[in-house]
Amino acid sequence: MKLHEITLAVNGTRETLSVPAGMTLLELLREKLYLTGPKEGCGAGECGSCTVLLDGRPVTSCLVLAVETDGREVRTIEGEATDGQLSALQQAFIDAGAIQCGFCTPGMVMSARALLERNPHPSDDEIKEAIAGNLCRCTGYESIIAAVRLAAEGREK
Amino acid sequence: MIGTFDYVRVGSIKEGCELLAARNGGAVALAGGTDLLVSIRNTGRSPDLLVDFKDVAQLNRLVTDNDAGAMIGACVPLNVIADNTVINDRFTALAAAARSVGSYQVRNRATLGGNIANASPAADTAPALLVLGASVNVTGKDGTRKIPIDKLFTGVKKTSLRAGEVITDISLPPVGSRARSAFLKKQRVKGHDLAIINMAVSYDPDAEALRVAIGSCAVTPILLPPVNLSENEPIDELAERLNDIAQAAISPIDDIRASAVYRLGLVPVLLSDLLSVLLAPEGGAR
Amino acid sequence: MSATKYVGQSVPREDAIPKVTGTAMFVHDMSLPGMLHAATVKSPHAAARIVSIAVEAARALRGVRAVLTGDDLDYRLGLYVQDKSILARERVRYQGEPVVAIAADTLEIARAACDLVEVEYEVQDPVLDPREAMEPGAPLVHPDLHTYSYMKGVFSPKPHTNIAHQQKIRKGNVEAGLAASEVVVQEHFYNPPAPHVPLETHAVIAHALPGEHMEIYTSAQSPYTVRNLLCHSFDLPHANVRVHVPYVGGGFGGKAGIQLEPLAYCLSKAAGGKPVKIVATREEEFGTLPSRQGLHTDIILGVTKDGKISALKVKYVWDAGAYADYGVNVGRAGAYAGAGPYNVPNCHIDSFVVYTNKVFGTAYRGFGHLEVMWGVERAMEIAACKLKMDPYEFRMLNVLRAGDRTITGETITPGHGRPDKCLEAVAQALDWGKKTTLSDPNKVRGKGIAALHKAPAMPTYTSCSAIIKLNEDGSADILISGVDMGQGTYTALRQIAADELKLQIERVHMTWECDTAFSPYDWQTVASRFTFMGGNAVIDASRDALRQIKQVAGMALRAAPEHIVCEDGAAYVDNHPDQRVPYEKFALGYTFENGNSVGGPIIGRGRYIAQGLTNLDLETGQGLPAQFWTYGAQGTEVEVDTRTGEIEIVDMITALDAGKVLNPVLAREQVIGGVVQGLGSTLFEGLRFDDEGHLLNGSFTDHKIPTAKDIPRHTQQIFIETPQPDGPYGARGIAEHPMISVPSAVANALYDALGIDFNTLPLTSERIYRAIHEERNDS
Ligand SMILES: Cc1cc2nc3c(=O)[nH]c(=O)nc-3n(C[C@H](O)[C@H](O)[C@H](O)COP(=O)(O)OP(=O)(O)OC[C@H]3O[C@@H](n4cnc5c(N)ncnc54)[C@H](O)[C@@H]3O)c2cc1C
Ligand code: FES
Ligand code: FES
Repeated sequence: MKLHEITLAVNGTRETLSVPAGMTLLELLREKLYLTGPKEGCGAGECGSCTVLLDGRPVTSCLVLAVETDGREVRTIEGEATDGQLSALQQAFIDAGAIQCGFCTPGMVMSARALLERNPHPSDDEIKEAIAGNLCRCTGYESIIAAVRLAAEGREK
Repeated sequence: MIGTFDYVRVGSIKEGCELLAARNGGAVALAGGTDLLVSIRNTGRSPDLLVDFKDVAQLNRLVTDNDAGAMIGACVPLNVIADNTVINDRFTALAAAARSVGSYQVRNRATLGGNIANASPAADTAPALLVLGASVNVTGKDGTRKIPIDKLFTGVKKTSLRAGEVITDISLPPVGSRARSAFLKKQRVKGHDLAIINMAVSYDPDAEALRVAIGSCAVTPILLPPVNLSENEPIDELAERLNDIAQAAISPIDDIRASAVYRLGLVPVLLSDLLSVLLAPEGGAR
Repeated sequence: MSATKYVGQSVPREDAIPKVTGTAMFVHDMSLPGMLHAATVKSPHAAARIVSIAVEAARALRGVRAVLTGDDLDYRLGLYVQDKSILARERVRYQGEPVVAIAADTLEIARAACDLVEVEYEVQDPVLDPREAMEPGAPLVHPDLHTYSYMKGVFSPKPHTNIAHQQKIRKGNVEAGLAASEVVVQEHFYNPPAPHVPLETHAVIAHALPGEHMEIYTSAQSPYTVRNLLCHSFDLPHANVRVHVPYVGGGFGGKAGIQLEPLAYCLSKAAGGKPVKIVATREEEFGTLPSRQGLHTDIILGVTKDGKISALKVKYVWDAGAYADYGVNVGRAGAYAGAGPYNVPNCHIDSFVVYTNKVFGTAYRGFGHLEVMWGVERAMEIAACKLKMDPYEFRMLNVLRAGDRTITGETITPGHGRPDKCLEAVAQALDWGKKTTLSDPNKVRGKGIAALHKAPAMPTYTSCSAIIKLNEDGSADILISGVDMGQGTYTALRQIAADELKLQIERVHMTWECDTAFSPYDWQTVASRFTFMGGNAVIDASRDALRQIKQVAGMALRAAPEHIVCEDGAAYVDNHPDQRVPYEKFALGYTFENGNSVGGPIIGRGRYIAQGLTNLDLETGQGLPAQFWTYGAQGTEVEVDTRTGEIEIVDMITALDAGKVLNPVLAREQVIGGVVQGLGSTLFEGLRFDDEGHLLNGSFTDHKIPTAKDIPRHTQQIFIETPQPDGPYGARGIAEHPMISVPSAVANALYDALGIDFNTLPLTSERIYRAIHEERNDS
């Protein structure tokens, strides 16, 4: 199978790899770069567990080809904490009790991260819209919405 | 691995079209991949080559002009359309339709060209484009042509695009200063879901023109024949009249999302809600 | 009881940090050197005879390491009824049933090899409706049922039928009770089969090792049950099987037993001992792995003119699908809980668990109670309405109170908890009796209320054990093998241990991997019994450790152990609180100045076993099945668009008698999560099949679950705390309960809003629309 050489920035680090065209970004992250934070819950764009930021915008990485990310910038949950310090958003997820099994959490945090970057003071409806593509079977979403609200309020201070 | 295809990112329409033509059906255009990659995954059937048009500058333009309408590149992601102020103000139905597709993440990838080229009967932007009188600019190895949107859809996942042709832009003709449009969609959950039924209506009081298009109720999205508006017709009577026309024009089926009966039953509700949004500011009757 | 420092506080979860940073390791994320990946060929038919299987082409594909068919695997598995092969043999019993399994160097190769397999089937007529499957002459899903072994004395598969189990409950004289009734309600209710939808699909890595040993890493709820069933299936000593369970991405009952583990092991063995990973695709999670059983309920409810329930006669027919799995036990639990939390003097219940040619059923959060309460609470509503009684008052009049006897003969005591208080709290929060009117002529509001109860469905000998070891620095580790798959039990156990050990909570830790080689025995993480039994075992272990702490501290401080006081990780003699010795000084033993040492590493050992439970009499169902009952009530206000049938949940209130809330935030989270999952079952979830038994909605595109936009406008969680005498700090389990009466509360509210009775789930907008239109056409 023909391989394509690609160079992309993942969480600020330049990576150059050879990938087959049929490899998804999710597979690249998990299987080549061992970033197993993004999860596969469906492989079909429906659940959001694989959400990462591509050039700052949240996408379901199971529906992005690795070759498509040549020259692009990818952020995953692994880049959210800096120097071992949780981001305010991560801390808000903990404080609001927004985590149960944790399988949806990495994708959820990335969707919320992108929301707060484009809209620092979202309404509850805007939060719901931003995370509606991230399915969670455990929490019933209420505390996740509260976490994003909490992170947004924290930013005001 | 989602498939066994190869991949090329092209820098120009010409390059892409040549590739598509050369591979004679083995190559397909790739935009956001939200339909194409899912279908490859689900069927296990891979084309030989995906030709990625997303880097072609022309396909990424979104040009709006209050007088001259709008020109939307085929590869413009739906979120960009949904967030565009002019599209929201002047072509409201399209902004709303774009916003109703899938999830936020999907809309960062999903393109307008992909949504209509894929030609699902439930494609959300289709009714909006139909009532806005859009035309689809396409290029193939034999040059370019313009397809009126109501001539694009020919069947379930079938279009009048010829082999190797790609959509380059969708152009929206200018709308009158008092013209308005709106879009509504019914789905099983409030989160991302395909439409049980979707509908767009455009209305221009100055041109006495009202257009209605309905999706997910036939093998293609359906644009209703134009209606003559009579002076001072109350909204509910107009809605009833349109409902009669709609019921005759559509032929919904039972599927996993809803039955035909329910779809038919939702038509008058959507009509009346859309008409009240578009016509009511002028006081119940037009 | 002395005041607690941590129990009752909202201590944050220790697991939050690995989860929020993406470092928590799920089986999904794990790999071993040389690991192979597996895929299966699945049956396209609901019922067929396997005529032939050609695997040569698949075997010849480069990178294929093992190919197995049913004929290679002469084992029969099953939790209660041994009715299932690892791969289909001779016949397939549901669409999606694995027929051939292939392990290869990559998943792509394994899948490509599956495409090369040719299976010839002789298609047969499937039996799809469990009521028809009970009829004489129905095609048999298991013609050899009479030869299967099963758990005797508890279950009763009927030879030469499709009936996997019949549970009977007989109390009083139901015919006499009905004859004495003023109002008799007779209704049919239906719940479809429904999938669990954990976000992490089933995943396992099996490593077959020399000498018939195996190592299993699995996304499962019950490590010891996995081990036990594997040992039984393959006739291996327990020492040969080691099961690891790391973080689990949701279970909800679907991961309670064993599913993919035996197949992964057989593949690993066939591939010469290379580890094999199987991860279910989302579609396999829907269509191959088990779901909740469907249920048909036929209820006859008799009520006297003063509103007292006089008789209840119910026939429950459970749609087990192709295999019994946990389903037979769901049918059993559904029967003994089948009258709801009501005082029913005359009761006659037959609960049949019936094989059909559909994906099989298993445990699902609520374990049959959501299904049963759907019928019971709807019937109560209809009865109240016929009597022209307020449905809340009607429930209050009939709800179980101390001194009443349940349908299995258990006497309710003050320690049982208070369903009446739950109902009262919900009615109050809901402003019961006050109707909301809206200006929009197309919208109507309605309020509904429903009670609930559930006890853990578990064997009479269910037990749990815990070990607490003190570390060099005086901190403590809790070892236990119940699994925290997000429900938060480990946090509650840490709180309990910290209070019992008199140690700061930051210094009490759980091991976030269960390993049958190290973690002491626990039965299963199901039935909302882990906090109860694990809590009691941890109390026992902590007290054992504390005894040792006091003993060695006494030696160090030259005082009798009974004079030692422990506080914040230090010990002192009661009259010298200023002279403290921190635990780290003696956690491994205390050393005097001259070098003499006493004590030794402190390890606490604790255990708990179910108390006083009995098997139910097979003819009458009388006996004691319940370690404890958790009672509750749910109430809702819904808004209906009468033109479209769309509904919006305006308010959703849940009250549970938790006995004692160990951690308020975790308890609240658990309830909200359950409520939204329950709303899924209420509004749109459920598997659908065509006439040939093909699953129509086995994907996220076709089967929706609630999203962030689908939650109620407002929710409220109320906890009543009537201490459970034998519960840890008085606590009861509350994990499954928040789902249970969501459907019935919503349907009761719909009746209030529309005057229309809904007896079939889910309550899709289409179903409501059709009912409104039929009603209009009728009148
Ligand atoms: C989770 C999920 C939810 C979704 N929800 C909705 C929804 O609610 N409503 C809805 O309408 N759709 C929905 N979709 C479908 C899909 O997202 C849209 O149809 C999208 O607009 C397709 O655009 P794309 O750029 O991703 O197309 P692609 O997948 O790249 O292409 C789709 C098809 O069009 C062809 N094509 C693409 N671009 C061109 C072009 N310029 N010229 C010619 N042919 C072209 C491709 O060859 C392919 O056959 C959903 C998809 C997912 C995964
Ligand atoms: S795994 Fe990508 S959306 Fe589900
Ligand atoms: S926390 Fe389990 S899926 Fe969200």
